[in-house]
Amino acid sequence: MSETEILETHLQELRRGTVVLACLRLLETPGYGYGLLEELGDHGFPTDANTLYPLLRRLEKQGYLTSEWNTDEARPRKFYRTSDAGVRLAAALTDDFRAIATAIDGLDNDI
Amino acid sequence: MTITESLTDRYVDAAMRTVREDQRADLAAELRGSIDDQIEARIAEGEDPESAERAVLTDLGNPDLLAAGYTGRQLHLIGPRYYLDWWRLLKLLLWIVLPCAAFGVGLGQVLSGATVGETIGSAVVAVLTAALHVAFWTTLVFVVLERTGHDTMDAGPWTLDRLPEPRQRGAGLGDMIASIAFLLIMAGAVLWDHFIGLAPTQPGLPFLDDGLWPWWIIGLFAVMALEAVLAIAVYGVGRWTVPLAVANGILNLLIAVPALWLLSTGQLLNPDFFPTIIEGAEGATVQTVIAAIIGFVIVAVAIWDTTDAALKAARARRP
Repeated sequence: MSETEILETHLQELRRGTVVLACLRLLETPGYGYGLLEELGDHGFPTDANTLYPLLRRLEKQGYLTSEWNTDEARPRKFYRTSDAGVRLAAALTDDFRAIATAIDGLDNDI
Repeated sequence: MTITESLTDRYVDAAMRTVREDQRADLAAELRGSIDDQIEARIAEGEDPESAERAVLTDLGNPDLLAAGYTGRQLHLIGPRYYLDWWRLLKLLLWIVLPCAAFGVGLGQVLSGATVGETIGSAVVAVLTAALHVAFWTTLVFVVLERTGHDTMDAGPWTLDRLPEPRQRGAGLGDMIASIAFLLIMAGAVLWDHFIGLAPTQPGLPFLDDGLWPWWIIGLFAVMALEAVLAIAVYGVGRWTVPLAVANGILNLLIAVPALWLLSTGQLLNPDFFPTIIEGAEGATVQTVIAAIIGFVIVAVAIWDTTDAALKAARARRP
């Protein structure tokens, strides 16, 4: 494994949970797969389609997202929306992320 | 456009192969919609439809892998939850089964008069077959456990109590298994000798004197059972202690003294064994020589085994 690949793997691990958080926050207004993919990219969470779709399924299965098919337009789309449990999870994750950020800042002060 | 559409069709079909029937329609519609969205976005950026479709599908990667992500299907045979249990059980079974298979088949071949080459060949084949069976069936059981989510034999959280005790050399699991396997093989040989006969050319001709049955043999088996208990006790304690070494010495005496007495009074071996196998006067000579050798072996084994256990007990006492 080259050094860039190792770096890539570590960055991926670091970012993994943040995509969940971003999805839960963005889907407080309903969205569908590809639209969300674009939105995530725009907000600075570049994500692969083959990571995002399984993630949405999993969050739906765990009850943090609800979904319904929208057949009004020419192309039927599955719209996801963050459930109440999802909102609470997002709040908890946000708090924890801030705590981690503070902790990382704290590392600088000690050196 | 027909060709481009069929690529997506084929991709969605391939991905849905491993998806459960009741989720298939929903997943297929969502996947197709997502692929179309991504293709459209690329076309809007000026790509031609065919290469846009190819690029999108290539990015999505192996459809089976994608479907596994969707459905949460396990992509391993035995995962971290069961791996250590599986590995420990497999090693244990191989240690027990393979030596028994090799010894059993080797013994059978020798008794049926096979040459050295045939015996080794059969034993090797038997060991390989046994290894294959043990590995396959053990793994299959764990694969089923992994998929049905049952607990393995040692359920419950790991605690400090489960730290392995420091073990003395000669008091490990392998030593216990070897001792018990040896006792079983000896018991098997005695039974084989009585009911089938050790000499392949003379079925029904016993090597041991028939007068030993049933009481002397029952006594022998009783002492052997005690030896098995002793082997388990040594493993359980984790080292040889003075009482265990003394018990071992007593058991050795219980076997050696009666055996020597029986041998010296001509009651241990069947006096007709070698004279029947070997024609003429040499038969009687061989019988005498073999009896002498067996006498020495009995004494040597008893002394060596007793001394070995005593030395280990003495070494274990030293801090």
